[in-house]
Amino acid sequence: MKLSLNWLSDFIDLEGLSVDEIVEQMVRCGFEVESIEKLSSGTNLVVGKVLECTDHPDSDHLHLTKTDIGSEVLDIVCGAPNCRAGLKVIVAKVGAVLPGGEIKAGVIRGQASNGMLCSLKELGITEDLLAPDSKSFDGIEELDDRFNVGDTDILKKLGYDDTILDVSVYANRPDCLSMYAMAKEMGAILNREVRLPEYEGKANIGNKSDFVLTSVSENCPHFLAKVVNSVTIKESPDWMKEHLRANGVKCINNLVDISNYVMLETGQPLHFYDLRTNPAKEITVRDDYEGTYTALDGIDYQIEKGDLMITSEGKPIGIAGIMGGDNTKILDDTKGLIIEAALFDHAQIRRTSNRLGLQTEAAARFSKGLEPMAQNKAVDRAVDLLIQLADAKDFEETVEYGKPDYEPYEIRESLTHLNTLIGKAYTMDEAVAVMKRLGFECRVEGDDFITKIPSHRASDLKIPEDIDEEIVRLTDFDDLKSTLPLMPQTVGKLTNIQKIRRVIRDILTKQGFYDTVNYTLVSKKFIDEAVLPSGEAVEMISPLSDARRYIRTSLMNSLLEALSYNLDHYNENVNLFEISKIYSDKGEEERLGMIMEGNFIEDKVKHLNVKADFYVLKGLLKQILSSLGFEMGRVSIKENTLDTAHFHPYQSAVLMMDGKTLCIFGKLHPNYLKSMKLNDVYYAEMILDVLANASPAKVKAPVINKYPSVSRDISLMLKEDVKAADLLAAIKKIGGHLVKNSEVFDVYQGEHIDEGYKSVSLNIVYEDKEKTLKAEDVNNVHEKILSDLLSRFEAKQR
Amino acid sequence: MLDLETLKNEALKAISDADSKTLEELRIEYLSKKGKIQGLMAQMRDLSAEEKPKFGQMVNDLKNSISAAMDAKKEELESALMNTKLLSEKVDITLDAYNPKTGTMHPLTLVQKEIEDIFIGMGYNVAEGPELESDLYNFTKANTPEGHPARDMQDTFYVDASRLLRSQTTAIQMRVLESDAQKLPIKVVCPGKVYRRDDDDATHSHQFMQCEGLVIGENITVADLKGTLELMIREMFSKDAKIRFRPSYFPFTEPSFEVDMTCHICGGKGCPTCKGTGWIEILGSGMVHPNVLEMAGIDSKKYTGFAFGVGIERVAMLKYGITDIRDLYTNDIRFLDGFKR
Repeated sequence: MKLSLNWLSDFIDLEGLSVDEIVEQMVRCGFEVESIEKLSSGTNLVVGKVLECTDHPDSDHLHLTKTDIGSEVLDIVCGAPNCRAGLKVIVAKVGAVLPGGEIKAGVIRGQASNGMLCSLKELGITEDLLAPDSKSFDGIEELDDRFNVGDTDILKKLGYDDTILDVSVYANRPDCLSMYAMAKEMGAILNREVRLPEYEGKANIGNKSDFVLTSVSENCPHFLAKVVNSVTIKESPDWMKEHLRANGVKCINNLVDISNYVMLETGQPLHFYDLRTNPAKEITVRDDYEGTYTALDGIDYQIEKGDLMITSEGKPIGIAGIMGGDNTKILDDTKGLIIEAALFDHAQIRRTSNRLGLQTEAAARFSKGLEPMAQNKAVDRAVDLLIQLADAKDFEETVEYGKPDYEPYEIRESLTHLNTLIGKAYTMDEAVAVMKRLGFECRVEGDDFITKIPSHRASDLKIPEDIDEEIVRLTDFDDLKSTLPLMPQTVGKLTNIQKIRRVIRDILTKQGFYDTVNYTLVSKKFIDEAVLPSGEAVEMISPLSDARRYIRTSLMNSLLEALSYNLDHYNENVNLFEISKIYSDKGEEERLGMIMEGNFIEDKVKHLNVKADFYVLKGLLKQILSSLGFEMGRVSIKENTLDTAHFHPYQSAVLMMDGKTLCIFGKLHPNYLKSMKLNDVYYAEMILDVLANASPAKVKAPVINKYPSVSRDISLMLKEDVKAADLLAAIKKIGGHLVKNSEVFDVYQGEHIDEGYKSVSLNIVYEDKEKTLKAEDVNNVHEKILSDLLSRFEAKQR
Repeated sequence: MLDLETLKNEALKAISDADSKTLEELRIEYLSKKGKIQGLMAQMRDLSAEEKPKFGQMVNDLKNSISAAMDAKKEELESALMNTKLLSEKVDITLDAYNPKTGTMHPLTLVQKEIEDIFIGMGYNVAEGPELESDLYNFTKANTPEGHPARDMQDTFYVDASRLLRSQTTAIQMRVLESDAQKLPIKVVCPGKVYRRDDDDATHSHQFMQCEGLVIGENITVADLKGTLELMIREMFSKDAKIRFRPSYFPFTEPSFEVDMTCHICGGKGCPTCKGTGWIEILGSGMVHPNVLEMAGIDSKKYTGFAFGVGIERVAMLKYGITDIRDLYTNDIRFLDGFKR
C-alpha cells in the first residue's frame, strides 16, 4: 500500500511529526514500512525568469541565459531546446542538492554558469508522474502564472512535495489497502483526530431504473450498478491528479480518474462502462464463458470456464474484478455511464489473474478481500464526485443484486481475560481508550467491555482475542515482564530415531565425514537411477523446473552430485554423508547415505595412507551399528543381488537385520560413474527406520576371564572363493566354547601362489573360563580345527 | 703413611679423567681383591697392635672415598650419555602434526541441535512430522481455510488435490495438538524442512528449515512467551540480548508478534548488520488462536498457549555471518570445514 503523506494530511493534522516519527509509530503498531520515497527532492530552488537567451558561441545546442531570481541576475548555461527569453523557470542555485548531485559554479565551454535551469525529471520526478502537457519530457519545466520570481515553495505548489510510504499490510488487514481505513488506522496509531469526507447515502438518488442485474455464478454474491445518463468529460482538478500521481496512477480524464480515486479511497475497485455500449441495459455475471477477450489494454486474453466475466446479452464486456473490456470503455466523447461496484470471490479472482498474468490494482484488492460494505461506500462516493467534478445528472436508482454480507455486531471481552492472556495489568480506562482511538463504539458492563465492530474491520475482528490484540498493538508493550510458564514438570527427551541420528552424526564426523544437506526435489534422472527406491516417485503439480520435479526416492544421486561439485573445485579425499527422509507412493522412509572417495586416512608426515575401499566402508557401518547396540551377530551380510546396476557386482553387499533389508553398500559401478567422470567411489545407503523400530541389545558388563588365554596361528593355502566367514564358522563349530576369538589377519594372492588360490592366515585365541588351559588341551583342539579346515576346504597347510 | 695420601690423590685424579671404559679398569685396579687397596692391607702385618686399628680405619676411609668418587663419576658419565642420546632425538616442534581427519556437522544441524538442547533442558520434547503433508495439517487446522492466499498453488508445492510438501512446521504443531489433546500440558519444539515456491537466490531458498515451539496449558500468557524466547535468544546469541515484540499477523495465533532481538554484532548501538536500528528481526510468535485449539478438541476457555517459529537458516546466517543462503546447500567442504565445533 502506497501511503501519500500529503493525502493523509487531508484527514489528519500531521503538524509536528517528522516522517521518521510517523514511520516509527507505524512499525510499533504492526505496519512495516518497506520504503520511504520522496516524490521529488531539491534544495536551493527558486523561481527565475529568463531575461536573455542567446546561442552559446561554441556549441550547437547550448544557450547562454541571464536569469533573474529576484535577488540577483545569474549567468546560466542551459541545454534545453525550449529555453527562451521570457520563460519562468525552476532555478537550482549554486549549492543546490538534487537527486543527481550538487550544483557547482562552473565554466561550460568557456562560459561561466552559476546554477541550473531544471526539468522536473532532474528533481527526481519519474516520467510516468509528469502531467501529459509537461515540458519536462524533453526540456525544462515552464512555470505558469501562479509562480512569482523569487518564490521558493516550488515543489509544494507543483504538488510534488509529497512523501510516499510503501506500507506492507498483513493479510488480516485488507481494509488498509484503502485510504479511508488507513486514515482511521493512522489516527489510532498517532492518536490524532481523523476527519473523513461525508458521503454516506449520496447514491440514494435517481429515477426508477429498468436496468437488469443478475449473476449466474456463486462467486459474485453482491453487485451494485447505477446508470448515470449525463456526464461531462474534462480534466480532473489538481488535488485529485496529485493524489493519483502520488499513488503511481496515470491521470486520464475526470471519469477514469474518479473511478481510480474512489478505488484508492474506499478500497473497492469500480468500473465505469460507456452507457452507449449497453443498449440492452442488462448485466449478467457468468463463469461459463470460454474464448478470447480483448481487455482495456488491447491485449487478447484466453478466458476459461470458472473465470468470472461481466456479460451483456450473452457477450463479454469485461473481465470481472481484473480489467474492463476494450469494447465498453470510457471514450473521449462519453456522455453517460454505468457504475459497477461488485464483490467477486477472492480466490477465483486470484486464480484468473495469476493464470492470465494480469496483475492489476483491482485484482490485487479483490484477491486480498474487501470489506463487506465497500460496494455501497464506493457507489456513494462515486456519485458524490461525479456530481462535483463531472456535472453528472439524470441518475437512475441504484440496482442491486444480492446484498452485503454484514450485520452490525459486538464483541464482549472481560478485563480479567485480557490480563490473564497477556500477563499485564491493563485498567478498564486503558482498554476502552484504545477502542475509542480506533473509532469503535464501546461500553462497559462490570468487568466486561463491549465493542461494536464497524464493517471495515469485520473480516479481522471476530473474537475477544482479536480485541486483545488491538489493545496490545496500540499501547506501549516494552514494559511487558518476562516470565516462564508455571506448569507441571516434564522430562524433555529425544525419540529413538532422534538419538540414532545424533549417534551417527557423532561417529561419522569424527571419522572425517562431512554432514551435508541436499535438496529434496530432484530431476527425473535422479529418480530413474535411485538406489533401493521404496516405490514410485511423487511428482509436483507445478514444479519450479524439471531439475526440481520429483521428491527423491534415494539419497545416492544427491551425494554423488555434492561429491562431483567438491572434486570439480579441487577438494580431495571427500567423505560426505546425509541423513534425510525420502518419499514415494509407499510413504516415508528415513535414510543415511555415505559416500567416500580417495584416501580415508592420509597423513603426509606419518606416511599413512588408507584408501577408501569396501572394507573401510564395511568397518564404518559395523562401528555405527555396534554403537547403536546392534552387534554383527544380529546383522547378516549377503551378496548384493538387489542392485548391480549402480554397484560393482563383486565389491558390494547387502546387510540384513531382523529379516529386513537394512543397507546396501560397496563400490559404485564404473559404468555408472563414467558419465560423471568419477572413479573408485564407495557408497552406502542405510534404511534407518529398520534400526529405529528394533530394540537394541541391553548393555551388560563383560566378565573378565581370570585364566590366561592362548593364541595360535594357522596359515592355509585355499581356493580363492573360500569365504572368511565360512572359515571362522568352522573354527567356532569345532572349537566350541574354548575358542574365545578367531580372525583372518592376512590374505595374500600373487607371487608364489598358484592362480586361483590364496594364502590365508588365521589367528585363534583359546580360553577356558574354568581353569588354566594346558598346552595339551590347546594342542588337542587346535589339531582338530586344523584337520577339519584342511578337509572341509580342501586346503593345504603352509 | 705418606703413600696412602699419594695413592688417594693418584686414584681420584685417574677417576676424574676416566671415561666409562677406563672407569671400570680403575675399579679393578683399586677395588678388586687383587687391587691396590687390598694390597695395603698386607702392610698391616708389619704394624704394632695399637697401630693396626688406626691403619685399618685409614685404609677403609680411603676405600670408601675412592668408591664414592667412582660412583659419582659413573653417574656423571651415564647422565652425559643420556643427554647426548636425548639431544640426538630432538624433534622440530613446529613441524606439522598428525592430522586425524575430522568432518563437521552441517551448520543447520548445529543450530537445530542447539535449539533442541535448550528446550530439552526446559522439559520440552522434540516432535516431528511428515514433509509430504496433508493440507489439513499444513493449513486447515492452522486456521488457514481454503481460499486463503497462503494456500495458493503459486506459493507451495502441491502433489495432488490435498497433499503438498509442507510449507511450515506449523503442520507438526497441528499433529501434536491432535495427538496430545487429551494429554495436556504440551511442551514441544518442532524442527524440520519446509518448502515454498521461491526461486533460489542469495536470500531465498525453495527448501529451508524451521523450528517451531508450542506450549499449551492453563494460564499461559504473552509474558511467558516473552520469557521463554528471551531465554532462547540469550542462550544462542548473547547473554545480554534483549527482545521486543512488534504486532504481526499469523492465521494460527492471536495476538501475533514479530520478535526483534538486540543486534548481536553491535549490541544495539546500530551497525550495518541491523541497518542502524540496533534491532534484528529473528522470529514470529503469538498466542495460539482459540480456533486452532477448538479444532484440535481442546477447550479454549480453559487452556491457552503460545507458539513461535524461527528460521534455522536465518539463525545460522546471523550467528555465523553467512551472507548467501545457497552456501548452506552447496556442501562445499571448504565451507563446511568452518564448523569444526
